[in-house]
Amino acid sequence: MSTEAYPLKAKEKLIEEQNAKPPVATSPQKATSVIGVSKRFGKTSVLEDITFDVAEGEALVLLGASGSGKTTILRIIAGLDQPYTGKVVLHGRDVTELPARERGVGVIFQSYALFPKMTVEKNIGYGLRIRKRKRKEIRQTVNDLLQLVQLEDHRKKYPSQLSGGQQQRVAIARTLAYNPEVLLFDEPFGALDTQTRVHLRREIRALLRKVNVPAIFITHDQEEALELGDRVAVINKGHIEQIGTPFEIYNTPATEYVATFLGAANLLDAVVRKSFLEVGNAHLPANLDQEKFKDGDCVKIVFRPEDVALSKTDFVRPDHHRIGTALVEEISFVGAYERVRVRLPKAGAEECALDDTSFYLTTETPDRQPAKSIIATRPKPEASTTRLSIGDRVVVAITSFTVLPLSEKKQV
Amino acid sequence: MRHVRGFDVVRPLSIGMLVFMMLPLVFLPLLSIFIFGTSNGLDKFWAALTAPEAVFALKLSMATSFWATVFNVLFGLFASYVLSRYNFWGRNALIVTISLPTAIPTAVAGFALLLLWGPYGTLGRFLAPQGIQIMFTAAAIILANIFVTFPLAFGVIKPVFDTMSRSLEEASATIGATRWQTFWHVTLPSLRGAIVSGALLTFARAVGEFGSTILVSGNLAGRTQTAPLYIFAKFNEGQIEAANAIAIVLALFSFLIFSVLFFARDWLDVD
Repeated sequence: MSTEAYPLKAKEKLIEEQNAKPPVATSPQKATSVIGVSKRFGKTSVLEDITFDVAEGEALVLLGASGSGKTTILRIIAGLDQPYTGKVVLHGRDVTELPARERGVGVIFQSYALFPKMTVEKNIGYGLRIRKRKRKEIRQTVNDLLQLVQLEDHRKKYPSQLSGGQQQRVAIARTLAYNPEVLLFDEPFGALDTQTRVHLRREIRALLRKVNVPAIFITHDQEEALELGDRVAVINKGHIEQIGTPFEIYNTPATEYVATFLGAANLLDAVVRKSFLEVGNAHLPANLDQEKFKDGDCVKIVFRPEDVALSKTDFVRPDHHRIGTALVEEISFVGAYERVRVRLPKAGAEECALDDTSFYLTTETPDRQPAKSIIATRPKPEASTTRLSIGDRVVVAITSFTVLPLSEKKQV
Repeated sequence: MRHVRGFDVVRPLSIGMLVFMMLPLVFLPLLSIFIFGTSNGLDKFWAALTAPEAVFALKLSMATSFWATVFNVLFGLFASYVLSRYNFWGRNALIVTISLPTAIPTAVAGFALLLLWGPYGTLGRFLAPQGIQIMFTAAAIILANIFVTFPLAFGVIKPVFDTMSRSLEEASATIGATRWQTFWHVTLPSLRGAIVSGALLTFARAVGEFGSTILVSGNLAGRTQTAPLYIFAKFNEGQIEAANAIAIVLALFSFLIFSVLFFARDWLDVD
């Protein structure tokens, strides 16, 4: 068979490479490393210098909008696409030159890609049959896996007879059969309805803890990313915007994109002064990195709707930071909380004012004044004790915020 | 038309009309083969059927059709794989060319083969001095059958290839299968239905082939005479019973093949 020639060549090449230079210096707990990977289709660059590690037993989520390049990263790790530069290292073994079938990664495709003409147990045993394992061993492994994914009663069924969740479990078991180096999930819950999705998410999380195999998930759903990942990498236009724990990503976003992609975020222009930040007429205390931010720099401050405190009186709690006075413009009830949109007039800091839109602050005053919309959310108890109505004048304060340098336009 | 007390008049009328129209066009001609063939008694029919030349003609038809089918199914598989997996310049031209034999009159096909392989043909004139003679042999019949049934298996298999999800093969590769293993365990099972129906179509068409066969075979009784040629020859000699016996066999045979195609559809498609 001519196809047999290729793996031999690839293996020889690998051996040569290992003899020529010391193996890639990655610590053993790194299960998967993607190092400086870039990818082009013709002249368009779709990935640029992607670098990250996944530790043993860790779950990393690649979060990004469609077209961000996250699927391409997954396909490069699996060996279904070739990178333009960079390499992929699995447990210390450089697999960049190896074809997909020699990498030993487990891919759970979005549509699961179960073999339609094979029963559940044949699907699960496929990897071992291909590897010419003994019949007894295959039967034993398949039994164990059927038990693990709780499909013992469905072993003789065909994929078309299973529900979406069951099919997904078969797909996972099928990869676990050959002890994959890493599990790659391509939009694993895309084809399911919301309720099943939430349920399956927890199931998979529990399963992964049990088998302790590192996993990389791809999703565009931020809630899914925060819940599934030990760490989350936010991908935008082919590069990693930020990588960190869900807590870090949500609470201290590194870029404006991250801040706005993960949930609602308010952004205000600010100027860096020696020991504080100037936001309009307000001064916010800030301990800024002197290296990164210089006096007079324009920055943005980001805060979440739940970080905003609105008060009808002039009293602001000492641990809150007063921003200014605003007009209530819209109030909507969103189940667990109330969402209030207020309009904050712009004042001062003209040197940094960038994306202002002019508004008529009230219908009574005809002067157009630049103003900024701010979204605040208030939990039920607060919403019912201090009622607000449209047109109310409120004092806006924030409990916490993150400072972002002005985003340089990244060329991709 | 109107509904008369919930009774749809159009329904029985249109069904009746359909059957009535088919009577002189299809049913009666077929029926008359059987009526005529058995009118002189079953023993006469059996004698006509077991005449050495008749048996030979049937066997030759089956054998040549079989080899043409084997070739065209394998070729159809290969062509479908190449033409649905790879996109290249001239791909559509190839697809059209493969499908072309459907539209060519079979006599033209036979004539074309003669002009290529015949003793004075483009290639044949170089082969004849070597003592290689292709025309007027069983090989010529197979060649003609291949030519005429060329697009049939391809036409059934290619659409299945086109709609087959690429991720099945990718999944198989990431699991660790070689290309060959993937083809054998994943791709081929999904094509089983298409292969069987493509083969049956090809075979049925090849067994009935007349126009091209009569040109390339030489129509030598007991040597290169296929079943349809036998019918034609016996009819010309005025031996209606002999022609009729074979006609009955061929009619039953195609009836059988199309029943399988029709009633085993579910089995062929799903699982």
